[in-house]
Amino acid sequence: MTDYWLSKMMFDLQKSGDVSSWRADREPFLEQYPISEEMKQAVRDDNLAAIAPHVNAYLLRFYCGICGMGDKEFIERLREINTPERH
Amino acid sequence: MAQLVGAFASSHAPLIARDWDILPPEAKQKISSGFREMRSRIEELCPDLLIMLAPDHWVNFFLDNLPAFCIGLGPEHGGPPEPFLSPKFPYKKLKGHPEFSRHLADTAFESGFDPSLSYNVNLDHGFCIPLWQLGLDPLPKVIPIFVNELEQPMPSIKRCFDWGRMIRSAIVNYPEDLKVAVIGSGGLSHSIGEPTMGKIDERFDKDCIDLFSKANEAEIIEKLIKNLPNAGNGSEEIRSWIIAHAVMNGEGFELIDYAPILEVYVGCGWAEWKVA
Repeated sequence: MTDYWLSKMMFDLQKSGDVSSWRADREPFLEQYPISEEMKQAVRDDNLAAIAPHVNAYLLRFYCGICGMGDKEFIERLREINTPERH
Repeated sequence: MAQLVGAFASSHAPLIARDWDILPPEAKQKISSGFREMRSRIEELCPDLLIMLAPDHWVNFFLDNLPAFCIGLGPEHGGPPEPFLSPKFPYKKLKGHPEFSRHLADTAFESGFDPSLSYNVNLDHGFCIPLWQLGLDPLPKVIPIFVNELEQPMPSIKRCFDWGRMIRSAIVNYPEDLKVAVIGSGGLSHSIGEPTMGKIDERFDKDCIDLFSKANEAEIIEKLIKNLPNAGNGSEEIRSWIIAHAVMNGEGFELIDYAPILEVYVGCGWAEWKVA
């Protein structure tokens, strides 16, 4: 199921392009959105398997790029996810 | 009266721009030759106006307001915001055609559609990679039509056929002399941000090419409903091709080229629908 606020945070990050602030400290960003604690933890842990079913796949790609993940690592980590869910 | 002079379709993989300087020569050659041939065919038709169909990649719209179809009505449109494309993009602004786009919107509402409308849109790589690669000079006026091809639920394939027919009706009933061409941008198969990312479904792509060449509308709808869920999420962009196909009454399809280019993650296709 789509997580609106998690998606919104990724969308806003993509729009602002504030990569350095995000990489330096994610907490101020996470505090701005009513994201569940479980999902905030998934973001802190870079837990792609937990995040992926709840955001649009294109947004996820933008987001992982902002986190500094290159395509090779991103694809490898996607393939480790056992239960793909399309968005 | 306005004249529909032809329709075209092409892929718009963002890596064509992002990785242009590091793509293998054979991939660049294939991409360049596809767009070069398309450009030459468009130039031959001398369109005054391009109606372009592409998805919005989270630039203009978000989950708080996500139109199935949105027509750009403004006198000009912003270019690509993506940093991997904007420095390469040769046009500062893209001129629109407010009178025609208003006529198109009126036709849509009179035909039972309720599209979203915007006087201020930015055209991302979905529109601008084809425009950059085509390098038309001068660039005709552009009417952008955004089609939701990124986030479920999306307009059905049948609805895209109907939307294409509506566009045709708007073109042929426009009272001023104007040569109009249509460009569908997207596809063919690709997969983004999901476990199959990077894979290209050549079987799906070749089936689509066969369908556009030979099949009737019912057959196309049936096949796509069956095949799309397993062809990668980017393959949903086939809707842009479907709309171009319907604009041309399902006739005159001619493949310009097809190449599954792994380096850009996309089964790249270029096509023309010729006026009979």
